[in-house]
Amino acid sequence: MASKISVQGLRKTFGDLEVLKGMDVEIQEGEVVCLIGPSGSGKSTFLRCLNRLEKTTAGRVIVDGNEISDKKININKVRENIGMVFQHFNLFPNLTVLKNIMLAPVELKKMDKKHAEEKARQLLERVGLADKADAYPIQLSGGQKQRVAIARSLAMNPEIMLFDEPTSALDPEMVGEVLEVMKQLAAEGMTMVVVTHEMGFAREVSNRVIFMDDGVIVEEGKPTEIFSNPREERTKNFLNKVL
Amino acid sequence: MKLIELFIQYFPSFTSALLYTLKLTAMSLFFASILGIVFGLFSVSGNRALKTLTKIYVDIIRGTPLLVQAFFVYFGLPQALGIRMTAIVAGTITLSLNAGAYMSEIVRGGIESVDKGQMEAARSLGLTYPIAMIRVILPQAVRTMMPSIINQFIISLKDTSILSVIGIRELTMNGKIIIANNMEAIRMWTIVAFYYLVVCTILSRIAKALERRMSYGK
Repeated sequence: MASKISVQGLRKTFGDLEVLKGMDVEIQEGEVVCLIGPSGSGKSTFLRCLNRLEKTTAGRVIVDGNEISDKKININKVRENIGMVFQHFNLFPNLTVLKNIMLAPVELKKMDKKHAEEKARQLLERVGLADKADAYPIQLSGGQKQRVAIARSLAMNPEIMLFDEPTSALDPEMVGEVLEVMKQLAAEGMTMVVVTHEMGFAREVSNRVIFMDDGVIVEEGKPTEIFSNPREERTKNFLNKVL
Repeated sequence: MKLIELFIQYFPSFTSALLYTLKLTAMSLFFASILGIVFGLFSVSGNRALKTLTKIYVDIIRGTPLLVQAFFVYFGLPQALGIRMTAIVAGTITLSLNAGAYMSEIVRGGIESVDKGQMEAARSLGLTYPIAMIRVILPQAVRTMMPSIINQFIISLKDTSILSVIGIRELTMNGKIIIANNMEAIRMWTIVAFYYLVVCTILSRIAKALERRMSYGK
């Protein structure tokens, strides 16, 4: 069976700085993969290469059979199928919560307005924010913003969701509510790639943990293996610091 | 009071001059806004040729006096191209090009002030660059741009006075002509200044009201 996401020999440089030094990753449909590692190890850059927010320097990234660095493919079409959630939420402050969610489906003619609104309200229900439909992002707490951001990504019915440190900008008491939504998504079979510092989440929810350092994959495996029996010295050092 | 007498006496003549000033301002700002948006978008685009073109345009306008630009367009271009141009047309072209360059810088600054994450979030949803620009980036940029845009409007309105040199009978020219007859320099220039002051004040008040209305969710 072909992988949902297949990354082969991925390299990425910014000027003279080589951030990704050749990465190979296969991710199957329905898998939840957590990327952990020290800051500056290239986790976020790797994630951003998966939907071409960063252009790859070398190697192949194949999502659903589409080689995404190929200039001939319609990247917008590919992106419709890949939701992305950012550390700083990036909600559109000029639009209400409801309009934030409806924007892409309506603009991309996936749904008419009425349908999109129905769907948006359902999604808000799902993330527990049905009463915030008409609020503006500035009126929400961090945790609420992030849940709206997740709902917004889900509006396009993506098959893959990318999370770039989704709880790092949150106050501690709000982390739980966001992780809860993500758990629910995982349970529903969403293919997820999560860059995170939440080791509890990685241990509990993911099928596989990838430990990255200095632009390479140091070690990967089932969460129980990585957290209880790390093989590599670098993994041990890192886990000792964060756990 | 002599001043009020003069004001009433020349009221009709200043009304028509004021209309010239306003017409010139309105037309110039209309074209300048279009130029500003187009070149502003050029300068934030990934296209190097468009960026360079914009930079040359802005540098030329910023690096030369408006007075020289007016002479160039009104006296220079017709001679070089063998065409005829009325003073109003020349004035509008000059002021449009002039304000357009400054507006493009305002537009560029406004767009660059919007957090990069906004474009990334919009694009990652599958929205195209133009749609993301129109629906997400520009509405936010306009808010930051508003004070500078209004400021530019006021500057351009006052710059119309420079176009008196190419013979447009706007407020300043009108004042000059009247003073040549009645020698009432201090009173007449007070009246001229008064007209500018009133129009500019109204404009900035409208701007303030507009700014207040544009804040969302606060």
